[in-house]
Amino acid sequence: MNIRTPDELAKLRTTGREALLTAHTRVMVGMATCGLASGAQKLYDALQAQATAQELDLSILPTGCRGACYLEPLVDIVLPGQARVTYARLAADDVAGLLAATTAGGVYAERAIGWSPAEPFLLDDADVPYGSAESAMTGATPSLASLPFFRNQLPIAMRNCGFIDPTSIDEYIAKGGYAAAAKALTTMEPERIIAEIKASGLRGRGGGGFPTGRKWETARKAHGEPRYVICNADEGDPGAYMDRSIIEGDPHSIIEGMIIGAYAIGAHQGYLYVREEYPLAVERLRLALRQAAAYGLLGTDLFGTGFDFTLQINRGAGAFVCGESTALMASLEGRVGEPRAKYIHTVESGLWGKPSCLNNVETWNNVPAIIQRGADWFAGIGTEGSKGTKVFSLVGKVNNVGLVEVPMGITLRQVIEDIGGGVPDGKKLKAVQTGGPSGGCIPEEHLDLPVDYESLSRIGSMMGSGGMIVMDESTCMVDVARYFLAFLKDESCGKCVPCREGTARMLDVLTGICEGRGQLGDLDLLRDLAAVMTDGALCALGTSAANPVLTTLAHFADEYRAHIEEHRCPAKVCRALITYTVLPDQCTGCGACARACPSQAITGKAKEAHVIDPGACTRCGLCMESCRFAAIEVR
Amino acid sequence: MEANSVHYTLDGQTVAAQPGETVLSVAKRNGIDIPTLCHHESVTPYGACRLCLVEVTWGKRSKLVTSCIYSAEDGETVQTNSERVRRARCLVLELLLTRCPEVELLQQLAHEYGVDASRFQTPDAADERCILCGLCVRVCDEVIGRHAIGFAQRGSERHISTPFGKDAEECIGCASCVFVCPTQALHYEDFDGKRIMKEWHTEVPLVACRVCGAEFATERQVAIMTERLHFAPEFAEVCPRCRGTEFRGAMEQYLVTKGTSR
Repeated sequence: MNIRTPDELAKLRTTGREALLTAHTRVMVGMATCGLASGAQKLYDALQAQATAQELDLSILPTGCRGACYLEPLVDIVLPGQARVTYARLAADDVAGLLAATTAGGVYAERAIGWSPAEPFLLDDADVPYGSAESAMTGATPSLASLPFFRNQLPIAMRNCGFIDPTSIDEYIAKGGYAAAAKALTTMEPERIIAEIKASGLRGRGGGGFPTGRKWETARKAHGEPRYVICNADEGDPGAYMDRSIIEGDPHSIIEGMIIGAYAIGAHQGYLYVREEYPLAVERLRLALRQAAAYGLLGTDLFGTGFDFTLQINRGAGAFVCGESTALMASLEGRVGEPRAKYIHTVESGLWGKPSCLNNVETWNNVPAIIQRGADWFAGIGTEGSKGTKVFSLVGKVNNVGLVEVPMGITLRQVIEDIGGGVPDGKKLKAVQTGGPSGGCIPEEHLDLPVDYESLSRIGSMMGSGGMIVMDESTCMVDVARYFLAFLKDESCGKCVPCREGTARMLDVLTGICEGRGQLGDLDLLRDLAAVMTDGALCALGTSAANPVLTTLAHFADEYRAHIEEHRCPAKVCRALITYTVLPDQCTGCGACARACPSQAITGKAKEAHVIDPGACTRCGLCMESCRFAAIEVR
Repeated sequence: MEANSVHYTLDGQTVAAQPGETVLSVAKRNGIDIPTLCHHESVTPYGACRLCLVEVTWGKRSKLVTSCIYSAEDGETVQTNSERVRRARCLVLELLLTRCPEVELLQQLAHEYGVDASRFQTPDAADERCILCGLCVRVCDEVIGRHAIGFAQRGSERHISTPFGKDAEECIGCASCVFVCPTQALHYEDFDGKRIMKEWHTEVPLVACRVCGAEFATERQVAIMTERLHFAPEFAEVCPRCRGTEFRGAMEQYLVTKGTSR
């Protein structure tokens, strides 16, 4: 079937909507990578098997991740005429109860965490009610939107994640998908689209924060044919997985954004550069491309306008540096993924020396929403310089781990404490690392900082692609810097001296400090090295590689000094600087620690205080974890 | 200088440059010395060693750029020896000296910049001479057209290698890589009728001149030359020195065969 006009698309949307909202019971299983890792496949299989066995009239479908990864596996159920109920942390043995409650038209209270009265159709600016909400709810289940994790979120990028079946283009269209592309291609001049994107204030979501509209404008005006649009899906920051989740949950949104972008800059060919380590994302995109082509939304003469556009997937082979634009393009050309000097920008001379417009997954995904709802709507969200929302992956020492999409300008504290539920085990929050390895650590006292491009840069960190790693008092900041430098040293392409040699030497110095070999001059040495790496490296990986060291030095210099001058690790992390001892008064002689010790370093008679041999102890900490009497101390 | 040339300030003097001309080239023409390690006029600029960094200022902004690649624009100010430039070069040299403490060129350059000892600990391989400037790779690729060697691994594991570290079938034993290497990290030896490319684990038989008997090239070199320049076989087996007498008056006949347009 070819969709030739906006009207044909609208018809498909209408029929799709009927199927989506009024048909029989809809059971949605969160099956993005995070869900699968928590056992969603087993759950899905069990649901299918029991539903078939009981001949139940249900549609059980996979959806993407709605962000609450800490609650996985998640299942949402919509009974006709009733509110949508969200169930969390389901196990296979919940399936029978869940199905029984559902077929009886009720709620499986054991795992229900919240209900939603309506499905937001963001692109239409409408909330479509599911049914007579509350009446069907039993007990004291709160509304999902009232839960702290969801309360302050505003899903734009994740508008479809966790609701539509990402393997169905019909569901995407039913939620308003491809309407923006139809609108752009049939009613807007390319210049008008660019003006709209400029007016929206959208900035690159991959890290740099460059104004998207300006990039498109330069690409459109650049000389040279053909020109290309490229999607950067080589997400590689440790702990960050926003882009993966968006692709897995809503692949068509990226394709639609790229169609609009291609039309705006005059490109007829596009590339999706996805890292090989994201097999499910690649699979979902591949299917989405096939479906879009089958509907005539990719290929020739889109919407009967004469505009041609094809898209293909290229898989990255596992180099972090290939997220850098010039390295990515070198890799696309089939060469080694190494950056080159960007004195002539890639928008003017990029892939094969042609004008190339590279944007990140989340940037492309925002485009249809802006075209559909208008620049004013988008510009009304966020702060003066940073518009719209940003998806963050909130990970580390935080209770509610997951993806959160919040309006720009919200404070770090709101994200971590309100949405994230704070630090587990009653520990104290120490810092948050934003922006991936190139970002920096922001100490607790700056948590009231608004999250926007400028505020984060001002404090030495950056927005980056949206990684947010929370650290508590048991995190050693020197060790954190060492970790990131080890990552960057491995991921440096090795082309330029400041990055290749600089990261290696910086890691040497940091390792020395962590292992108790730090010297008084080390901090100056680190600062000298950092200054030249920042100033003189070839690409952004090198110029930002010192950020983890610079920000920890700026805010946690005391901790560095404790390591060097007192041979002490205040967070009790660096193994060379700590010792484990048994507190004889507390020890009951139960022997649990001795059994847990992998290096037989603990001895003692039953019911008598045990002793740790510091020579044999590897400081793994297992004894401490195994002790139920707090009889083991680390110093 | 052409009418559309650009004008900017280079170390205090106003200079004219052709559009696209690199700062390094303009500096050289104006008698200003900028140190380089990975640059060679015969190959594409690479911008890897960062020794040729210069400071460019426009308006209130300034940044360090590699002069081997950057072409300055009208009205900019370029300083080739500012404090910021020297600080970067000193540290680059200190890093390279840490990697390759035995390389005289680096010792000498470092000394010129007042870097007499490295504050960093030299990693295990103290006899390392390769600074990974990539000149050998680019010469083999761009000048010889063979791609016999390339970079392997990344980051601090990066090194120059033949494919899979095995002997390089593509290597013709021309030794251009050896000649272009700024740090004498590469070696070859002609021994027992063979040219041994030491770092590339490759041996290529040498060809002796039919007239004088001196070994003048490798078999693969002669084969490539014959193919590219359409040499007649009897011409190819004579060394360049003997060709003048051997083919007196008939040189054209051997050189202009199927048209000399290679």
